[in-house]
Amino acid sequence: MKTYLDNNATTRMAPEVLDAMMPFFNDQYGNPSSFHTFGSALTEDIEIARQQVADLIGAFPSEIIFTSGGTESDNTALFYGIGADSGKPGLVTSVVEHPAVLETAGYLEQAGHPLGLVKVKSSGCVNMDSLEEQVTPNTGLVSIMKANNETGVIMPIREAAEIAHRAGALFHTDAVQAVGKIPVDVKVEGIDLLSLSAHKFHGPKGVGALYIRKGLKLNPFMHGGHQESGMRSGTYNIAGIVGLGKAAEMARYFIAEEALKTSYLLEKLESGILKECPGAVIVGASAERLPNTATVLFTGVESEAVLTLIDLSGICVSSGSACSTGSKDPSYVLTSMGISVTDANTAIRFSLSMYTSDQEIDYVLEVLPPIIEKLRKISPYTV
Amino acid sequence: MDHFMNPRNAGKLEKPDGHSEIGSPQCGDAMTLDIKVDDDDRIIDIKFMTFGCAGAIAAASALTEMAKGMTLEDAGGIRNKQIVEFLGGMPAEKYHCSVMGHDALTEAIDYFTTRRDETRNNLKAIISNMPAELERVMRNNTITIEHVRPERVLISLLNEDTQKIVVILEKELHKRLGRTVEVKVAG
Repeated sequence: MKTYLDNNATTRMAPEVLDAMMPFFNDQYGNPSSFHTFGSALTEDIEIARQQVADLIGAFPSEIIFTSGGTESDNTALFYGIGADSGKPGLVTSVVEHPAVLETAGYLEQAGHPLGLVKVKSSGCVNMDSLEEQVTPNTGLVSIMKANNETGVIMPIREAAEIAHRAGALFHTDAVQAVGKIPVDVKVEGIDLLSLSAHKFHGPKGVGALYIRKGLKLNPFMHGGHQESGMRSGTYNIAGIVGLGKAAEMARYFIAEEALKTSYLLEKLESGILKECPGAVIVGASAERLPNTATVLFTGVESEAVLTLIDLSGICVSSGSACSTGSKDPSYVLTSMGISVTDANTAIRFSLSMYTSDQEIDYVLEVLPPIIEKLRKISPYTV
Repeated sequence: MDHFMNPRNAGKLEKPDGHSEIGSPQCGDAMTLDIKVDDDDRIIDIKFMTFGCAGAIAAASALTEMAKGMTLEDAGGIRNKQIVEFLGGMPAEKYHCSVMGHDALTEAIDYFTTRRDETRNNLKAIISNMPAELERVMRNNTITIEHVRPERVLISLLNEDTQKIVVILEKELHKRLGRTVEVKVAG
């Protein structure tokens, strides 16, 4: 039975989203930037989508720039956000950020921007004392994710934004895993820049948005035909943008219901695993987490072997590490929480969505425990 | 795939003749391997335990199947390429997963041969430079080494009176090796 519990990787697109997008693949193929009505009328569809995205995160439509997705939004926020208002070069981010932020931060450091890395606590939550230490009067931008993709741990970004602002720095959050799953309000949380991606909440792949607080001027990051007020040129991905808008509208409408449903199913999954698989440990159990994400350490059992076996039963989940390039890189997110390399290599991530069913959870609880048991029997590590 | 789904020879052996524990602290993978060896240097039983990916498990299973019944020399000569062939191919990026099994077998064989050499060398030393206690009971007797295993040696004696010699040899070997070696007399 196909069981999809890898929704932090990507989600199934909502049928309503596809319906909303279809016309723009068919007869409404015009270019919104054209002079003629056939094309320019589509501007309205783009502005509706902009409003829908803005509504989801409590922003004004004029504060939303459409991008190709989370990675572009993160890159843009870091490249052009550092000291955009102050000219200060320093960048501070956490050790558990997504590679879209961490790799970019590493590149910027090589390019001469002083980089401060914030530690996390054993719960997976950003260590605020470490953040205070890293932020200096020279810091131009602080970037802390809203929720971690591997552990689902939710970060106190309102407090993080305050620390950034006190030091005269801007605050960016990679909210790719949070938007659509938990309420995010840019004004309440004091966010200057926010990245989001459509396909993480039942929208299409290849489209996302960057929120840029009103009054904040970033340099244009794609030069060309002046789309998006000259900030991000390039012919509009209109079907994608409309799809993002529709997904945002649905997320806003269903967010509480989906959170309720996924947290119920997640609780069932977690307690079932803890009961049936001795030695299993839920990562970040003491922290506030996304209602859809659980990473479990199956102590003594290597995760890729588990993945291979449950894949044969049609169960889609993921592990933090991949043994493919000659050496295995354990999840840096888990090891930075103080989890040993060996234990990090036993981690399996389950991520649910509103399409996850009770039957799917039952099926996992039926298939998984014997597999863990079987692999544990041949493991040299004892629980 | 079958070797991953139903790994052969998984587990541990009681009193193995050769044993190895290897692991990579970097990637956290680990493996133990036990072998039983007969008097003709053949691997008569072999068991492994592993913490590794599907490739590592399948490769270890295949390797143990191949090595079982082989002489130590032949088993030590198994190449990674042959393991991959035995499995009917493996993705290139998974080749490295088979290395761990190979290393574990090499180490288990080394463990056996090193301990055997230790036993043999010490036995030879005792015979060539006899302690007084042994010399007293030897009289005109002569000791010939027939066969050596890490934990048991077979000797033959020119004369019949053996009991005292055996006791002294066992005591001496234990003193030198820190482990028990059984001394048997052929005939």
